[in-house]
Amino acid sequence: MFFHKRNSVITNQYNQFIRITEAVISAVKESGIQNGIVAVVSSHTTAGIMVNEALECLESDINDALRGLIPEDHPYAHARILRSYGSTAGNPTGHLKALLTGSHCLFPVAAGEIVKGEAQEIYFMEFDGPSQRSYTITVQGE
Amino acid sequence: MGEVIDIHTHPVFLEPICATDALLEQRRQAMGLYKAGTASLEHIHNQMRCAGIDRLALLPLDLSTQENQVVVSNEEIKQLIDLDPRHFIGFASVDPYRPDALDVLEHAFGDLGLAGLKLNPARQNFSPASETLEPIYALCLRYNKPIIFHAGLSLEPNTSLRYANPLEFEAVAARYPKLRVCLAHFGFPWVRETAALLLKYPNLYADTGLLYFDSAREFYEEVFTRMLGKYWVDRSLRHQVMFGSNNPRFEQIRMAEALRNLGWRASTLDLVLGQNALEFLG
Repeated sequence: MFFHKRNSVITNQYNQFIRITEAVISAVKESGIQNGIVAVVSSHTTAGIMVNEALECLESDINDALRGLIPEDHPYAHARILRSYGSTAGNPTGHLKALLTGSHCLFPVAAGEIVKGEAQEIYFMEFDGPSQRSYTITVQGE
Repeated sequence: MGEVIDIHTHPVFLEPICATDALLEQRRQAMGLYKAGTASLEHIHNQMRCAGIDRLALLPLDLSTQENQVVVSNEEIKQLIDLDPRHFIGFASVDPYRPDALDVLEHAFGDLGLAGLKLNPARQNFSPASETLEPIYALCLRYNKPIIFHAGLSLEPNTSLRYANPLEFEAVAARYPKLRVCLAHFGFPWVRETAALLLKYPNLYADTGLLYFDSAREFYEEVFTRMLGKYWVDRSLRHQVMFGSNNPRFEQIRMAEALRNLGWRASTLDLVLGQNALEFLG
């Protein structure tokens, strides 16, 4: 069996952590699939998917670490007009931060439920907001 | 800090006036913004909040005779104003060659209550100094409405640099000293010519909707501290420069931030970010 859905997110900050675990749990239930795999995939290259513990202090540390590794003020090459878009490419930090978090996560599904550690929270990670975003949830199994 | 106004935005992809995929694609091609998506008002409000902007000037585009299309109409601008009068300032557009151009403009100012006129000589294919435009300028004066002219480089299709040099607008500034005129994009790459005109004609303004190379911070530093003298805006042109982003082609949030970090006096920033726009709008 195969279940697939797309969820929309309107982000309202430049960089933003959005917890989506409940949406994934709900999609697994909605799928009716008992045993298999669930994949959560960002539809973007400047917004990622991250799994980590949902603590305010950790969100702050992760944000600071990403900003330290990938500062806004740096002579990035991705800062120019793109003819194929007709607009400015000004979001190199978004691309690079999404590279670090990755674009997706996978979890097993057993007995109709997502199998994850107690501390594991799934985040949609906005790195070039505010924006209108989406991610997909795909459940495959039987 | 007073009110912050972005005097140069194109509402072409706002959801309330861009409801179908066919229209979205048509407007992408018309504007040369090939991968743009529609934007909800909620998203626009989020973007404004992140950029620290209170109001946006919305610019339409009438290409009736040149391309047989009105990319965004004056009525659509009025529709957006009615949806969100607190955040939007509506401008009119008219193709100067259409036979009913003056009626269109009378309707836009008199009935729709739009705040000014946007003209694009490079796209609408006219010389700003042409006699054809004189009745339009007179009408703007009668209604006390300002004009924003596209000036300098344009990345839209079917545009020429022929009528885009800021010097093309000198005759208008000289002939109509009471007409408030903005040279958009600071006339890039002719920014020194634009600065000279601003110095000479107090009825001329320029907006900051230019981000043709580099990041916003790098490009604003290049233009406003090296192509122009570091103190020129802060000392001499502070009453004539207005913040404009040219969004969605350029980046409203990073441009606003870059402008705030150019080292201008706080009072100059206040003027550039909003007070000059209020003067310009009358």
